[in-house]
Amino acid sequence: MKKIGLLSLVFMMFAGVLAACSSDDSSADSSGDSTDDHVTLVWYLIGTPQQDTEMVMEEVNKYTKEKINTSIDLKLLDWGEFGDRMQVITTSGEEYDIAFSSSWANNYSLNARRGAFVGLNDLMDEYGKEMKELIDPAFLEGAQIDGELYAVPTNKEVGQQAVLSFNNELVEKHGLDLSTVNSIEDLEPLLAVIKENEPGVTPIATFDAHLPFDSVLQGELPFAFRLDGNTDEVINKYEEDITMETLKTMHEYYKKGYIAQDAATSTDSWPLETPNWFVRKELYQPYAESVWSRSAGYEIVTRPLEEPHIFNGSVTGSMQAISATSKHPERAMMFLNLLNSDPYLRNLLDKGIEGTHYEENEDGTIKHLPARIDNFNMPSFAIGNQFLLKLYEDDPEDKWEAFEEFNANSTPSPVLGFYFDSNPVRTEIAALSNVASEFSPALLKGAVDPEEYLPAFNKKLEEAGMQKVMDEIQKQYDEWKENQ
Amino acid sequence: MDKPAELLEREESMPKRIPRKKRYNPYGFSGKTSIFMHVMLGTFAFLCIFPFLYVIIISLSNEQSLAANGYQLIPEQWSFEAYKYLWQMRSQVVQAYGVTILVTVLGTLISVSVIALYAYAISRKQFIYRKQFTFIAFFTMLFSGGMVPFYIVMTQFLDLKNSIWALILPMAVNAFYIIIMRTFFMRTVPEAILESARIDGAGELRIFLTIVLPLSIPGIATIALFSTLAYWNDWFNALLFIDDPNLIPLQSLLMRIENNMDFIKQNAMLSNQNSAILSSIPQDSARMAMVVIATLPIALSYPFFQKYFVKGLTIGGVKD
Repeated sequence: MKKIGLLSLVFMMFAGVLAACSSDDSSADSSGDSTDDHVTLVWYLIGTPQQDTEMVMEEVNKYTKEKINTSIDLKLLDWGEFGDRMQVITTSGEEYDIAFSSSWANNYSLNARRGAFVGLNDLMDEYGKEMKELIDPAFLEGAQIDGELYAVPTNKEVGQQAVLSFNNELVEKHGLDLSTVNSIEDLEPLLAVIKENEPGVTPIATFDAHLPFDSVLQGELPFAFRLDGNTDEVINKYEEDITMETLKTMHEYYKKGYIAQDAATSTDSWPLETPNWFVRKELYQPYAESVWSRSAGYEIVTRPLEEPHIFNGSVTGSMQAISATSKHPERAMMFLNLLNSDPYLRNLLDKGIEGTHYEENEDGTIKHLPARIDNFNMPSFAIGNQFLLKLYEDDPEDKWEAFEEFNANSTPSPVLGFYFDSNPVRTEIAALSNVASEFSPALLKGAVDPEEYLPAFNKKLEEAGMQKVMDEIQKQYDEWKENQ
Repeated sequence: MDKPAELLEREESMPKRIPRKKRYNPYGFSGKTSIFMHVMLGTFAFLCIFPFLYVIIISLSNEQSLAANGYQLIPEQWSFEAYKYLWQMRSQVVQAYGVTILVTVLGTLISVSVIALYAYAISRKQFIYRKQFTFIAFFTMLFSGGMVPFYIVMTQFLDLKNSIWALILPMAVNAFYIIIMRTFFMRTVPEAILESARIDGAGELRIFLTIVLPLSIPGIATIALFSTLAYWNDWFNALLFIDDPNLIPLQSLLMRIENNMDFIKQNAMLSNQNSAILSSIPQDSARMAMVVIATLPIALSYPFFQKYFVKGLTIGGVKD
């Protein structure tokens, strides 16, 4: 009798929780598209919480209230925890309106597939006309999953280009000629000079070998498509000849002492401020060298390793999605439209309040006041259309034009827009990830001999079920290709 | 832990007045064993303390020499730069300190009183439903709802997001401690004492406050110590429930920096934008300085706790 009483108590508790859960869902009501009612939108953005957020948001809300009768409740979640937090928030069905999404945090394609985001095609046609004209079509098309856009991409550099950047002080000191450097192989003579003459310098600031493929999932997994030649077939990039060649070169450099001996395991981030390196690998955007030089405190020059390519990862690099739990998707779209097309709002959210966070010069350029760095250091690229931003006084005048040109010159990857749905092969991918994280860091950084370890790696991948994933990717790719 | 060693030392330093007869030695260690124990415990203590000393040394190193030589036991250059940096962000650090202390003190008080009351109730045979209530507590040790339901309950039903209670309540009741305390009450507080109190006319509350509690101080001290440590070191609840920068505890501040660093390492493709992220991360020495200021208070208060703790155990433990 006692036991039954207890059991029923437990059940009642469960039932209470369940009932409370389900009653919450049904309360969503659809507000019309008019802006008669005042609404407050919750916006999760990536970035370190800032002291002056409240102050700036007050200004922002004054403006948005007047324009679209909407207030914004901005919540900044720190870089390292944004992904985890958003996952809990989405899974728990918490109500919010707008969230930052991308290929690297709060994963765009995963969440879109899962139904966490609202499809935006119709909303955008109705409430987002202004921004649609401003955002580079490459973004709007590349980010579509099965024909539907699930988040508003930030207008910025659309292509991705790996470059080698050099410590120019050392380049000039030894009179080195960079014009012949077009690949990692070409570095050899330069590295030899540095190794011989600069005992305190590690010639290569540890980087992964550059492999010219479009990776389907995380970069360390083997699945990729070629960028030219036969691009319709998914390949194991670790079986390609060029991979073997490149990794051999890296290992050669490692043996000669050009790469730190603990490269495979070290977590050293090689800070720019410390000039103990000669060459490193970075991703480029127009005028990046001047940004890098500024934060390094000495000049940095670059040489491209490839032409800029448009990848899935680069078009979905920074976006704002509207949550499926939002009660006001129309209003959220109106706000995103304003954010991406209204220079006043965009600059306010990014640079802060004039006079407090920045000063405007007569020619329209601005300079930071200390408060911008200390109390309102916002992640510019994560917010919205970058081309609306005011230029700093030491920015090149044609900065945004250069971005537009860079975008025009970027070649789309042959598989741009193909978002692989990894659900059917989740277990295999987990196993493969384990194998890959065992082998790939040491291989890609040159620490082990590829002639020995690359075949071993491939064998282990084979055993972990690589073929099954390959077949699934190929199947999905063929279907996708047919619908293009 | 070092108490027996101390006692031993005292024994040994005593002049041996009666060389023939074996002196009464309740601890029963011969000279060789004693040396061995000293060396072993000393080594162990050193191993425990060394990492922390290392952290202090790194926090006092010059950043450039750190970058050039890595971590060294005796750095090329000493510098107080890291502590100056912390001094510059003192408003944030002091705020975080305040939150941590408030949560720790309030949390420990609440948690000890709730656990003691619950455990006392289920330790008493007169309480008819004690088995059921024991089971309810015990059940949560075996099964838990998992993170998402926990999050839903906290944010949607209890509405505790961005509230100081989100840092206190989730850890206020610990089923394991309840079971420990229950056993402790049953062992150390004989029914006879309670009976005599009842005969003298004491009510239940009076019995609990003036008889049971004083007798159970060792157990309560143990639980208070554990929950103080748990509250002081907790960062996970803050990570889940706190967005408001004014409510972040110290450990969570450290954890955020740690997470941000991992994040940068994993996302090399963001190198263009790294400057924005990097600016949120203090340098090596400053991070170590933060560890020092986050650990030092609790490490320093531990000996006081421990003294009390050992005394309590020896006095209250063996009675029968």
